[in-house]
Amino acid sequence: MSATLIEVAEVGRTYAMGGLFSRHRVRAVDSVSFAMETARPEIFTIIGESGSGKTTLARMILNMVAPTEGAIRFRGTDLSTIRGAEARLKFMRAVQPIFQNPFEAFNPLKRVDRYLFMTARRVAGLPEGEVEGAADTALRNVGLSLAEIRGRFPHELSGGQLQRVAIARALIPSPALIVADEPVSMIDASLRISVVNLLRRLRDEMGMSIIYITHDLATAYYISDRIIIMRKGQVVESGDARTVLDRPQHPYSIALKAAVLSPDGTNEKTEVTSHA
Amino acid sequence: MTAPALSVTGLRAYYRTSHFGVEREVKAVDDIDFQVGVNEIYGIAGESSCGKSTLIKTIAAAIRPPLKVLAGSVVFNFGGRAVDVYRAGEREIDGIRWRHLSYIMQGSMNVLNPVRRVRNSFVDFAFRHIGRSTAEFTRVVVDHLKRLHLEPEVLDAYPHQLSGGMRQRVAIALATVCRPEFIIADEPTTALDVIVQKGVLAMIRDVQREIGSSLIFVTHDLAVHANLCHRLGIMYAGRLVEEGPTSEVFRQPLHPYTQHLVSSLPRIGDAEPKKGLEGAPPSLADPPSGCRFHPRCPVAMDVCRGNVPPMVTVAPGRRVACFVAAPESRP
Amino acid sequence: MGKVLRDLFRFNREFAAGVILLGFVVLIASLSFVSPYPPNDSFVVPPDLPPSWAHWLGTTSRGQDLFWLLTFAIRNTLLFGFTVAAISRVLSLVIGLVAGYAGGIVDRVLMSINDTFIVLPLFPILVLFYFVMRDKMSWILLALVMACLGWAYDARLIRSVAMGLRTREFTETSIFSGMKMRQILVQDHLPYVLPIVFSTTMNNINWSIGLEVTLSVLGFTDINTPTIGVLVYWANQHTAMVAGIWWWIAFPIGLVIVTFIGLFLLAVSMNEFIDPRSRLSRIG
Ligand SMILES: Nc1ncnc2c1ncn2[C@@H]1O[C@H](COP(=O)(O)OP(=O)(O)OP(=O)(O)O)[C@@H](O)[C@H]1O
Ligand SMILES: Nc1ncnc2c1ncn2[C@@H]1O[C@H](COP(=O)(O)OP(=O)(O)OP(=O)(O)O)[C@@H](O)[C@H]1O
Ligand code: SF4
Ligand SMILES: [Mg+2]
Ligand SMILES: [Mg+2]
Repeated sequence: MSATLIEVAEVGRTYAMGGLFSRHRVRAVDSVSFAMETARPEIFTIIGESGSGKTTLARMILNMVAPTEGAIRFRGTDLSTIRGAEARLKFMRAVQPIFQNPFEAFNPLKRVDRYLFMTARRVAGLPEGEVEGAADTALRNVGLSLAEIRGRFPHELSGGQLQRVAIARALIPSPALIVADEPVSMIDASLRISVVNLLRRLRDEMGMSIIYITHDLATAYYISDRIIIMRKGQVVESGDARTVLDRPQHPYSIALKAAVLSPDGTNEKTEVTSHA
Repeated sequence: MTAPALSVTGLRAYYRTSHFGVEREVKAVDDIDFQVGVNEIYGIAGESSCGKSTLIKTIAAAIRPPLKVLAGSVVFNFGGRAVDVYRAGEREIDGIRWRHLSYIMQGSMNVLNPVRRVRNSFVDFAFRHIGRSTAEFTRVVVDHLKRLHLEPEVLDAYPHQLSGGMRQRVAIALATVCRPEFIIADEPTTALDVIVQKGVLAMIRDVQREIGSSLIFVTHDLAVHANLCHRLGIMYAGRLVEEGPTSEVFRQPLHPYTQHLVSSLPRIGDAEPKKGLEGAPPSLADPPSGCRFHPRCPVAMDVCRGNVPPMVTVAPGRRVACFVAAPESRP
Repeated sequence: MGKVLRDLFRFNREFAAGVILLGFVVLIASLSFVSPYPPNDSFVVPPDLPPSWAHWLGTTSRGQDLFWLLTFAIRNTLLFGFTVAAISRVLSLVIGLVAGYAGGIVDRVLMSINDTFIVLPLFPILVLFYFVMRDKMSWILLALVMACLGWAYDARLIRSVAMGLRTREFTETSIFSGMKMRQILVQDHLPYVLPIVFSTTMNNINWSIGLEVTLSVLGFTDINTPTIGVLVYWANQHTAMVAGIWWWIAFPIGLVIVTFIGLFLLAVSMNEFIDPRSRLSRIG
């Protein structure tokens, strides 16, 4: 079927962990299935417990980790059959990641602009003259500009700036699917809204599909079309985002929603001995 | 009234760099004054890259070039012993770290040594300070991890085998296992799911209550502030612009930036389109004149362009730096 | 780089001492180019003279001026050390980085080759090699063989660092930026292993010089190319020690020791500079 963009079929991944004698196995992802259609770009949100396998699942979709069970097909091609540099570049043109931690996303010894130029040159395949322009356009999409970023090392930028550079880099080849692993966890509320709005614009105007992993139920509610909730490697609940978040059915989803801190609420606090 | 646990006065810290002869000065922390009481949790929020982490670094005495402290003082009070961070010697500061003052850096999940098992990191940092036998030390650590919803098995893992949230909790555990009197935490809960986050916050509150420690807590998550912090300071472009009891700041924000921040919070059940702040974040290398918020401020006046609004007390416990919110501060 | 070297020289005593010692050795080696006597001519001066104004370090029983002979010897010895180190560094870098990055089957194959080399007994192999080659033995050949024997341990070290780097997120950003494996290894990972490479270079030079001297003293190398070891070999052949011609042995050995100390000091001080963590604080 050529109409599916990505199909995740009964995918699982097991890791062995521990020392030589106390080996045990971790089932990081356990038979997860879902599919996304090419014709209907959407924001597909994955929410779940910390350590429930969201990142592992994302890495399998990005073809960075091979599943131990099941298969993932992108536009009908099984990811495990992608071999060779050309095929891989072609895959990267269509699927790009945004990672969890902006402080780790760039080599601390290198300037960040090299990643933008490199992506424009090699993944997007632009001629040398258009490279800088493409980098600048992408940066402007996230509220930065090449003039600000050029020549800077990662430690000279704040977490929010780095995360926006990381998003800009992923946008350069205009991918069909973006896998964003907690892209807004390190940026402020106002910027978070702009980034989330940006993701929405990518979907609406550029027709990109987005897999959005987050712990923030509020932004998930705000932008997603569909949602799955994961726990211990398994999907415990899935469906239309608003429906699931408004009326969660599974006990874990209910607990999750109940644990969301409200900006209006105040829990009990201790007495302050001295006020300044 | 007892002395505050921390007083920061007139603190100013810039990054001074020179690249191939081009000098650049990033005014990341400019004229900041505030105090944190004993037993108090003080929250700091603000725009990304407004200098929160820099402020925290200067307070925690974790200054590395090119960061330079140009003016001001940071004085801690550990049970009657005053320590002025910038007058004290290297030895004294080292003596304070971990035992009295612990600092959870932003991105702390990456401070773990990638080629050593988590257990070894604990031994490196905390064994000396806890000063017990190996077996007992392990028990203390395992108990502590349990409060953070972590299994004892993580001790035998290498950092890359743990998920982001697990690593972050390990970093929190490292910083709190010695039960310090003052904890400074920069974005410690960003990679956690809400249930675990709630547990971690409860743990932090427990530790704080048990030993009566004080806490500075930086996060972008305003809901966390609302539920944890007694007082909240809002920063914009290197300056403190508003301060007050958390609930009041939320209920009635005074500074236009705070007002925007509070109104841009999405909530579950609310899908109404929201907007980020218009305009580009100010460059700290060349900040706007006068009030640094004026290019983006919806109610800016002429006076804002040429004059820096001072931080003034407008009501008991509430301070703000804005000519509209505090008309009496106009020149 | 120039500024860095100047600062290092000014503020780091080990570095300064190392540079001065090595500078001295290199100076002596370079004097060989203006030597009045070709290295292999004998009986050009009266034999067995003790150090004097006319012959600073005395003369040998074969009628050679020891000072000028020594300039050739140390030149060849240094050259030998550098050649071995250069070839074996390249080998250990390529194999260590590739194994650490690729992992899986590539890693296992490379590391089992590596382990074979680690457990090979060095000395018997070199001696055996000498007996096989005999007259065809030259120092280039010996350098090649020693380079092949000297990379394995360091490759393992480099691999362990590279494995850590492979799991860092920035490697993945590089991959998704379309960088090829070669580029990632050279641009992203190499800077992190340079400290290892530098300190092991110095150690490797020391090791290879030491081994070459030992082999030569025992006569298992090409004894017609003067090196420090060959010098001592000839001295032994003429029972210099018994005959009281101490300078024939003392000066070559002394010069080798100076070289060892100089290289060691450089290794120690370079390490501190090249460590990425201390480099980070310099970039800022
Ligand atoms: N390389 C690895 N080796 C062994 N175990 C691993 C490895 N990577 C992940 N795991 C394990 O797999 C499980 C899932 O990890 P994963 O990173 O996918 O969680 P996550 O849902 O992304 O969590 P978080 O929200 O904290 O980021 C964890 O128990 C983790 O310890
Ligand atoms: N080492 C450095 N050299 C030069 N400039 C720096 C350096 N570190 C930070 N900066 C600059 O200082 C400013 C403040 O950075 P800081 O990390 O304190 O921000 P922040 O408020 O913690 O942001 P975030 O919420 O994104 O973590 C930023 O503009 C950043 O680019
Ligand atoms: S001082 Fe002026 S510009 Fe600044 S926040 Fe207040 S009204 Fe706006
Ligand atoms: Mg994750
Ligand atoms: Mg910060």
